[in-house]
Amino acid sequence: METLLDLWAGYGSTVTFASVNAFFALSTYAVLSTGVLSFTTVVFAAVGGFLSAQMAGKFGVPLWAAFPMAALGGGFAAAVVAGAFLRLESHWMALASLALVLITRVTALNTPLLTGGVNGLIVPLRVEPLELALLLALCALVFWRLHRSWYGLAARAVREDAAVASTMGISPYRVQFAAFLISGVVGGLGGAALAFTLQFISPETYFIGIAFTMIASTVLGGSFHWLGPIVGAAVFTALPTAMQAIVPQIEDVAKGVVLLLIMIFLPRGLIDPRAWGLRRAARLREENERRQQAAERDAHA
Amino acid sequence: MNRISKAARAVRGVVAGAAALAAGFAGPALAAPAAGEYGVGFITENTGPLAAAGVSYHRGAQLAVDEINGSGWIGQGVKLKLGEKESGSDAARAVQALTQFSADRNVIAVTCCILSPVAAALKPVTTNAKLPLVIYGATLPGLPQPPYVTSIVGLPGPQEVKMSKMLAETLKPKTVTYFVNADNEGFQNRFKAAQKVMEEAGAKTAGVVSILSADTDFTAPATQAIATNPDLIMVWTTQTPAAGIIAALRARGYAGKISASDVISPAPVFKKIGPALAGVPFPILFAAEISSTPEAKSFIEGYTKKFGEAPDTYSAQGYTALYYIAQGLKNTNGKPTREDLAAAIGQIKSNDHNVYGGVPMVNGQAEVENSLVANWTADGKVVRWENK
Amino acid sequence: MQLFVEQLINGWALGSLYALFGIGFGLVFSTLGILNAAHGTYASWAAIAGYYAVDRFGVPFPVAVAAGVVGGGLLAVVVDQIGFQPLRAKKTGMLGALITSIAFWIILDSLAGFATGQQSLAFPATSYPNQMVVLGPLRVPQMQIITILALLVCTVGIYLLIQKTRIGAAMRAVGWNEVAAALGGVNARMVILLTAFLAGATSGLAGVLGGISTSNVSFTLGEGLMLKGFAAVVVGGYDDVRGTAIAGICLGVIEVFVAQYISTSFRDGFTYLLLLAFLIARPRGLFGSANFVRA
Repeated sequence: METLLDLWAGYGSTVTFASVNAFFALSTYAVLSTGVLSFTTVVFAAVGGFLSAQMAGKFGVPLWAAFPMAALGGGFAAAVVAGAFLRLESHWMALASLALVLITRVTALNTPLLTGGVNGLIVPLRVEPLELALLLALCALVFWRLHRSWYGLAARAVREDAAVASTMGISPYRVQFAAFLISGVVGGLGGAALAFTLQFISPETYFIGIAFTMIASTVLGGSFHWLGPIVGAAVFTALPTAMQAIVPQIEDVAKGVVLLLIMIFLPRGLIDPRAWGLRRAARLREENERRQQAAERDAHA
Repeated sequence: MNRISKAARAVRGVVAGAAALAAGFAGPALAAPAAGEYGVGFITENTGPLAAAGVSYHRGAQLAVDEINGSGWIGQGVKLKLGEKESGSDAARAVQALTQFSADRNVIAVTCCILSPVAAALKPVTTNAKLPLVIYGATLPGLPQPPYVTSIVGLPGPQEVKMSKMLAETLKPKTVTYFVNADNEGFQNRFKAAQKVMEEAGAKTAGVVSILSADTDFTAPATQAIATNPDLIMVWTTQTPAAGIIAALRARGYAGKISASDVISPAPVFKKIGPALAGVPFPILFAAEISSTPEAKSFIEGYTKKFGEAPDTYSAQGYTALYYIAQGLKNTNGKPTREDLAAAIGQIKSNDHNVYGGVPMVNGQAEVENSLVANWTADGKVVRWENK
Repeated sequence: MQLFVEQLINGWALGSLYALFGIGFGLVFSTLGILNAAHGTYASWAAIAGYYAVDRFGVPFPVAVAAGVVGGGLLAVVVDQIGFQPLRAKKTGMLGALITSIAFWIILDSLAGFATGQQSLAFPATSYPNQMVVLGPLRVPQMQIITILALLVCTVGIYLLIQKTRIGAAMRAVGWNEVAAALGGVNARMVILLTAFLAGATSGLAGVLGGISTSNVSFTLGEGLMLKGFAAVVVGGYDDVRGTAIAGICLGVIEVFVAQYISTSFRDGFTYLLLLAFLIARPRGLFGSANFVRA
C-alpha cells in the first residue's frame, strides 16, 4: 500500500498533466476529425486559462463556476476564429492558425491588465486530480456520444472527402464550424485545467510548446477515434518521465527518437479503428472460409 | 512602581540574554543529526534556454556535496546525496520533478530554479508537500516564504546602486543612455535603480533602448543608442543580449564608455565576444580572479581541480545553496523530518560557509554586503575596475 | 536623416536573413507539402558547422559559409529520408510528416545544445569581414552588404530555377500532384531530394550569415529565424520566392523602425498584426494567384 502511495506521490503530477494534455489533444481532435489541421487550441486554452484565473483571483469565483466560464470563453473565441479562418484553403489554414498562436502570445504579453504581462498571474485555486479526471471523463462521454451520432458520421464524411460529403447534403462549413465550437469549449476547459494545476500562468504558458504537445499527442494516439487523443496524451506526457528514468543524459533525444519510431511504424497512431476493423474482417473471413470448407466437406460426405 | 518594573525588566532582560546565550552555545553542540545519507533534490536546468548558467549552478552544488561529505562538515557519518531531475527551465516539468522528489522519502530538501516564474510555480507545491525548497538563482522580490521557501541569492539593487555611484563619481557623465529588457522585471528594477543614482548625480538620460530577451540582432538598437551620443551607455539586460549589444556597439565603432551587469562575468562570454568586453565595468559578488576570502580560495581550487575550469558567479550560488541546506541539517537533532529541517533552515541568520565574506539571511532571503566592481582585461582576465 | 538611412539598411539586412530562411521553409511547404517544424534546426546546425570549420580547421570565410550551406542541405536530405520518406508510401498527408518533423526538432535541438556545450558561441572577429564600408556619411558593416547580396542572388537564382528550367517545372509538377508528375515521366524521388537539399542549403545560408552577424551560434538561432521566417512566408505567399523575399525585407525594416520610432514593446505586435491583416485580407500572399488550388 505504501509503495502504491509513493508511486502516486511521485507520478501523480504526471497523471495530472496527462489529463490536462488530454483536453488539449481532444480539442485538436475535434477539428482534425473534420479534416482541419489547426493549432488554434492554444488560443482557446489561453482565453480559458486567463479568464478563469482572473475570475478566481479577482472575483473569488469558485472552481465549479470557473470551468464553465473558461468553456464559454473558449467557445466564443472559437466562433470568431472559425468565422475568419474557415474560408481559407487547408494549407493556409494550418499556417494561419500557427500565426495566430504567435499573435496570441504577443497580445497576452502586451495586455498586463488582463494577463499579468511578463510577470504572469498567480492562480489562487487548485484542481484535485480526481476532479480533473471526472471532468475529462465527462468530456470523453460527450465525444463518445458524438462519435456515434449523425454529427460523427458527417464529420468522418467531411474528413474523407468534403466534395462528396456536400453532394450528400452535408454542409462541410457547418460541420467544421461545429467542430471549432467543440474544440473551443474543450480547449478552454484545458486552459483552465492547466491554470488550476500549475497555479501560475504567463503568456509563455500558452505557446508553441502546447501546440506541439497537443498535435503530437493527437496523432500519436490516433486521430481517427476519440480514445486516441487521450491515450496519446498519456503516452506523450509519460515519455519524458520514462526517458528521464532510463537515459537521463539524453532524455530529450530519446523522447524524439521514440516519437519518430512510433510515427514511422504506426503512422495512423496507437488507437486505429481501421486496424480493428481490418482485424475483425480478417477473423470473419477466416471463420466464413472454415464454415464453407466444413459445408463443402459435409456436401462431399 | 516605576522602579520595580524597571528592575523587573532588567532581570527579565538578563534572563532572556542568558537563555539566548545558552541556546546559542548549547544549540549546535547538542544538536546533531543521526548518521546516514540524506537526499537533496536538485532541479537542474542543464538544457533549454538557460543551460549555460544551469550547468554552472549544478557543478557548484556537486562540488559542495563532495566537500561536505569528504570533511564530515555536518557531523560524523552524516552525508548528503545529490539527486538530479531536469526541468529545461519549463514550469510544468519543474513541478513534475518536484513532486517526484517529494515522493522520494530519502529526499529531505530540494533546490531549484533560475527563472522567477518557475520558482513561483513551485512555491505552492513545495509548501503543500512541506518540503524545504532553497532557491539558487531566481531573484524576484517576495519569492521566499520561510520556513519552506528560502533563497540564497541576494536581490538585485544594492550592488547596482553601488556601481552606479562609483561610475557617477569617477566618470562624471553628463548624459547616459540605457539598454534594458522590456520583458524582464528584475532588469527593469536594476535599470531604474541605476537611472535614479545617475539622475541624482546630474547625469541626464539621453535615451532608453529596450530590447527583448529572445532578441539576437542588436545592430539596429546599437545604431539607435549611438545616435543619442551619450557619455556612458549602461546595459541592463540578460546575458545573450548584453553580450550581443556590447559586441554590436563596438562593431559599429562606438568608442565611449559602456557599463554592464554581472551577466557578462562568466568566462564563456569573454571567449565569445573577446576584447570588445575589455574595460566594461560590472558589479559582481564573486569572481574567481578577485575573490580572496579563504573559503573562496578553497572553492576556486576545488572547482578548478574537479571541472578543469574556474568557477563563475553561478557556480558560487549553487555551492552556497548546498552549504546552506547542510547548515540547516547540522542544527537538527536525531532523525530530522523535512519539517524539522525547514524549521532549522528558517532559523539561519547567516550563512556559515560562503565565498562572499558574509551572507546574512533575513526572512529566508539572503542579503548582499560585499559587492565588487570588476571588468575584463583585453587578454581575458577579471580585475578590479579602475577608471582609465 | 543619416540615422534613418542607417536603420533602413539595418532593417533590410535583418529582413534579408528572415527572407533567406523563409525561402527554404516555403520551398519545402509548397513542393513537398510538409509543415516542417525542424526547419529552424537546419539553420542552427549550419551555423554550428560553419563555426567548427573555423574553430577547428581555421578555414577562410567563404569556406566556412560553404560548410554551413552544404551542412544544412545534407541535414535536410537526411531528415527527409529518415523522417518523411517512409510516410510518403503510407499516405499520411501533412499530419504524419508534421509529427516526425516535431520529433526531429526535439532531437536536433537537443543535440545542438550538446554540440555547443549549451553555450552561445560566436565566430572570432578575425574570421569574417568585420570592417565598416564608408559610403559618404554612412558606415555600413561588410556583413550587412554580404547578407543583402546573398538574398538577392538566391531569390533571383531560385526564381529562375523554378520558373524557367526543366528541373523547376518538375518541382512545380511534384508540388501540384506527385503521382501525376510521376506518371508524366518526372523522377519524383530526385525532385524530392533536390528540393530538400535546396531548402536546407538556403536556410543554412541564413543560419551561417545570421550566426556571424549577430554573434550567436546556438540552438536559439534557428528558433528566432523560424518565427520571423514563418511570418515572411505567410505574408509573401509560400509558393512564390519573390513574395517571401519582399515580405522578409519589409518585416525586417518595419521591426527596426517600430523599435526606433515607436517602442520595442509594440515591435513584435506590429509584425504579427501585419501577419493577421494579410491572413484575413489577402490569404495568398503578395504574389499569390487567386486560382491556385492544391491537390
